[in-house]
Amino acid sequence: MMRLENVLSPTPAKIIKTEKMTDIERLINLEFLDKNFAKEFIYKPGQFVEVSVMGVGEAPISICAARTNPDILQLCVRKVGRVTNAIHNRKEGDLLWIRGPYGNGFPMETMEGSHLLLVGGGLGIAPLRGVLQYALQNREKYGEITVFYGIRCYNMMLFKDEFLHLFREGDKQNVKFYLSYEAPDDKECYELACERSDRCTQGVVTKLFEKTEVSPKNTYAIICGPPIMYKFVVRELIKREFRPEQIYMTLERRMKCGIGKCGHCILGNGTSIKYVCKDGPVFTYLDALNAKGMI
Amino acid sequence: MKLPRENFTAFFESLKNYGKVYGPVKISESYGFKEVSNVAQLSLEYPRTMIPPKKFFVKPKERIFEFDEEKMEYRETVENTQIVIFGIHPCDINAIKLIDRVYINEMPDKYYQKRRENALLIGVSCHPDEYCFCKSTGTSYATDGFDLFLHEINDGYLVRVATEKGHKVITQNKHLIREVEARDMEDFKENERKRLTEFKLELNISGLQDMLELSHDRAIWREYADKCFGCGTCNLVCPTCRCYDVVDYVNLDLKTGERKRKWDSCMLRKHGLVAGGLNFRPTRVERLRNRFNCKGSLREDMMNCVGCGRCTVYCPADIRYVEVLQKVRGEIK
Repeated sequence: MMRLENVLSPTPAKIIKTEKMTDIERLINLEFLDKNFAKEFIYKPGQFVEVSVMGVGEAPISICAARTNPDILQLCVRKVGRVTNAIHNRKEGDLLWIRGPYGNGFPMETMEGSHLLLVGGGLGIAPLRGVLQYALQNREKYGEITVFYGIRCYNMMLFKDEFLHLFREGDKQNVKFYLSYEAPDDKECYELACERSDRCTQGVVTKLFEKTEVSPKNTYAIICGPPIMYKFVVRELIKREFRPEQIYMTLERRMKCGIGKCGHCILGNGTSIKYVCKDGPVFTYLDALNAKGMI
Repeated sequence: MKLPRENFTAFFESLKNYGKVYGPVKISESYGFKEVSNVAQLSLEYPRTMIPPKKFFVKPKERIFEFDEEKMEYRETVENTQIVIFGIHPCDINAIKLIDRVYINEMPDKYYQKRRENALLIGVSCHPDEYCFCKSTGTSYATDGFDLFLHEINDGYLVRVATEKGHKVITQNKHLIREVEARDMEDFKENERKRLTEFKLELNISGLQDMLELSHDRAIWREYADKCFGCGTCNLVCPTCRCYDVVDYVNLDLKTGERKRKWDSCMLRKHGLVAGGLNFRPTRVERLRNRFNCKGSLREDMMNCVGCGRCTVYCPADIRYVEVLQKVRGEIK
């Protein structure tokens, strides 16, 4: 038995705060016990970590914030399986075990000097929040920021304070924040729609494309949402003459290892074989056109 | 160098100095790599083993670490035993090289790497049967990836040395080794020539990856998915399949336990399943197509198949790998 540098070994992190955001989603704030490790734990928006609950298992979770404070790692976790249920049951002071960061993340440098159009559906807004935060911190590097956020109902809205603030006051920072909600009889959302009828609409997230002028000129679109959402959003973008390489999207898959070994997240065929965990999870629509079965 | 036949037993016996010796052994109607204490147990004329020698490096089930929730610690467990794998065929050596690309070349997996370092690989030449198509995949000959390779000639073996480790074994067994004579070289050439004419099965791999891409939506996948049992045998016996699943086991005290990984199979339903119930490869059509695509390319420039024929031999639904790809190409209807 020996101790060694091991890519499969997780690092302990303490839950310093766990906030209920909706009935099924929590925002987990973590702090690495090892401060030196935290300093070297550098991540980009769109990257993910493997989170372990010992005795339960490991799950890939995207990081939902830009790295501003190296001491804090924020994860937005929906309880949907064994590991995420266990994460929800952990209290402040408890430990989670982290490996990562993994994946390519969003190419924030490539997008410098361009307008950003973020399209998020449901929990898909979590990785996009990192992009948004990063762009706001480096506001001068990016043009106009437009956010399309689709939710099921008001109670399912994540990061309510932040996003409602952007919804109302975003223009001051040149951020246009649009909201769509699916439940037709949702009272709170209806009120938001009354408040800013140009920014909030009932329907699925693609409905926002009808309300808004979206131009492909010098713009990158960034999509994240439930798998069904991608092709509909892409269709709207292509209709508006976005080129496939202007469209970024981040994908979900079963990712047991995060480092291209366990094989579960493989997709594509022939010359386009990709592993979502190491070649992605961020791909362009051009990649999706080559690798069938990606979206 | 040459190992005369009369020295073979002595040479084989000497391998015990380098670790536990494993070799091909007949088990019922099939063959497998087992620990061999006596040269008489060896079946060197074996066509192929059921389970490939990947099992020594990518273990069917292995512990990654033990943990103690209460003490907030875990302990990695990496075994450190020296082994000798005797009698590997060129296809399996090439398969190990392919797995090395995944497990060592990027983000090295320490468990795998350690076991690779601790193993002495001795290859042996073979003759194809009706299922072998390694000549087509370019893996009928191993240029490296082994420590020693024994080519059978009329009165012994021609020995090729590929590593320092192999060289050491030869040096320490100098008394058993002879110089190669011109006649031995002739034997070797003649055997190799003959061997290449013995292949009955052929697969045209040129442009295969593009063929697969173009065939994405073809009915042929449905046709074979209807035949396929979805049992995952092809994955278990494949020398390049290395998917694994990770499982935590908790002890009765509910505080300590261990994390293990074990072979997984892309032909099983849950391979593409994520929490919440969404499955990215929901039917056998997607799963079968994915397997053929994965075997068709490890990376853009490389097949992930070494032509050993195991998936065809052991498929209970009698799906023939080469036949499927010939249909994909349209060579047969």
